Amino acid sequence: MYSTELVVQTFISGILIGVLYALMALGITFIYSIMRMINWAMGEFYMIGSYLQYMLVAWLLGPDLWWLAILVSTAGVFVLGLFTEWSLLKPIFSKPPEIRSDYATVITLALLLMLRSLATGIAGPNQFTPGSNLPIVMVGPMPLAGARVAAFVFALVALGVFWAVLRYTWYGLALRATSQSRVGVQTAGIDVLRVDRVAFGIGVALAGLAGALLAPVFLVFPTNGLVTTVKGFEIVVIGGLGSIPGALIAGVALGLVESFGAAFVDSAYQNIYGFALVLLILVLRPNGLFGERGREA
Amino acid sequence: MRGQGYLLAAALALASSGVVAGAAAQDIGIGMIVPLSAPGDATGGQLIRRGAEIGIDMMNAQGGVLGKKLKLFVQDSQGKPEAGVAGYRRLVSEDKVVAVPGFFHSSVAIAVNEVAKEMGVPTMSVQASASEITSKHYDIAFRTHAVDPVRVSTWMEFIKQKGFKRVSLIAETTDYGIGLADETLAQAKTMPGVEIQKVMFDRTSTDLTPQLLQVKAFKPDLVINIGVGQPLDLIMDQATTIGLLPNTPMLISYDAPTRPQFWQLHEKNGNGIYFIAYYSPKSKLSDIGEQFAKAYKEKYKEDPVYGALNGFGSIAILTQAMKTANSTDPKALIKTLETGTYKSWPDAPVTFPRADGVYWHNWVPPVLILHYTAAKQDWKAAEIVVTYSKK
Repeated sequence: MYSTELVVQTFISGILIGVLYALMALGITFIYSIMRMINWAMGEFYMIGSYLQYMLVAWLLGPDLWWLAILVSTAGVFVLGLFTEWSLLKPIFSKPPEIRSDYATVITLALLLMLRSLATGIAGPNQFTPGSNLPIVMVGPMPLAGARVAAFVFALVALGVFWAVLRYTWYGLALRATSQSRVGVQTAGIDVLRVDRVAFGIGVALAGLAGALLAPVFLVFPTNGLVTTVKGFEIVVIGGLGSIPGALIAGVALGLVESFGAAFVDSAYQNIYGFALVLLILVLRPNGLFGERGREA
Repeated sequence: MRGQGYLLAAALALASSGVVAGAAAQDIGIGMIVPLSAPGDATGGQLIRRGAEIGIDMMNAQGGVLGKKLKLFVQDSQGKPEAGVAGYRRLVSEDKVVAVPGFFHSSVAIAVNEVAKEMGVPTMSVQASASEITSKHYDIAFRTHAVDPVRVSTWMEFIKQKGFKRVSLIAETTDYGIGLADETLAQAKTMPGVEIQKVMFDRTSTDLTPQLLQVKAFKPDLVINIGVGQPLDLIMDQATTIGLLPNTPMLISYDAPTRPQFWQLHEKNGNGIYFIAYYSPKSKLSDIGEQFAKAYKEKYKEDPVYGALNGFGSIAILTQAMKTANSTDPKALIKTLETGTYKSWPDAPVTFPRADGVYWHNWVPPVLILHYTAAKQDWKAAEIVVTYSKK
């Protein structure tokens, strides 16, 4: 009934979007693993990354230097993340831990509303696209926009660099240690508040990178981060909160489930298939595929 | 810490800066519900709002109504029924408006009308086309826009004219998308030999490649793009990516390509697009329509498109109705709208009779299909392929 070509094309489409979903979710899970807080404004950092990419390509660098614009946009979101952590989150992380999570929820939700309103106020509600000069590329039987393939490759490279930094650098060791025991790293003389700031910067920069990469594919507008937030949390639940390999595998799984569901079951329910997967995982493995049981001190 | 405290205070001040003062007691409030942010079609909402604002200024310059000035109160529906309903309640309860024109997304208009029939303040849909908006025969529901059967008849005429045999509909799962898809399937039954494929999508989806792959596999002669706002643009771009566009003609279900933003987004893939429109510069405007077009061009340095014209038209019609009724009471306004004849932007009388079916309280403009035959073509120069008027 369905051609092999359609199955292969759907598979490629699912893998491509899945890796990008993983990039979106990685920041959420990384920040949680270090700071034990959920950044609800993650989608807004994605949105800022996409606007920076648009402004740099459309007004300053031009479409040929899209790759430079991506690096600058990601760096810009990283710096904004450092500033956000210093100005809004550090004060509460200097205090006893009981109310941190509540405070972080309120602050990041307020930040979400403020950044979204600011974007609408400054740039208006219209959609923009930075455009792309990259040609259409054939991936097997599937023609794909050059920008989408570039986003996929860039995302894979970024994920590899992220893994290498965590695995092989002193700072990566500090980050991993902090994710295991905040008290432990303090006793070892590491400034945990500084680690928090860098972790928050890296986490939101990952979202900003996803926003910059997908700006020519999914357009630029004030609420484009909403999908990132929703998909990000779906992936985090599937993969396990705080698990980086979990985010990668769950991202790809979500991409495939959505693509195949939309192509072969009913296209109207594309977003429902992801939620169905979330429910299934919650029933079978409540802590996610790679999550660990929580422990209250 | 002190520096961080100042930053928090500044953020709070910024967040609260959107609060605006209410109208002076002597003003007559007219509400407006339009999408001004995603997932709604914010550009569509903005154009309706622009038209209404100029309409308010023009009416006030002519002395207002019943010795009072008009004031416009705008609520952002975001294209979501719940936001539209909340906006309507606020407009009626707090701002004390006498009528609520606007409405771009059918789902919003349908949901608001359910509340409006209890609260009693009339609505006027200027760019929402689902049949249900007027087919329920609510006293408060008025419309100055093309309804689903007329729009579908227009593209069925086009399909017949071009001899297309296989047609794909890619439609969002909203009242607008579902209504148009179902109406197309119903009308296609009277056209033997025409096969229709229906592919639906959730309008919050951003990756529509799986749906478009299904469409491509169907090998259609025509794709009808029934997305509104951002999904419309995503369908065009993603269809281009997989080679569906420009190889297969695409018809867009409303007049989005007349907007200036269209060519900014679709410089490379907009040529060859067919689209529904409700106005062409070749259509004659009324005298107040001409005045409006001049004022609009002076203010925005571009010609008004249909959304702006209809936004203006709703204000002009409501103003005339208040003058005729010599009252701002919503019940008197409804009675006057039903029985009177009004002047709006087109050079044709506008009426809202208690007619049968979907045409209850409904004035329908002629519907056109336009065709871009060159990249970055001015919509005013687009080829007119079909002109359809309700029989």
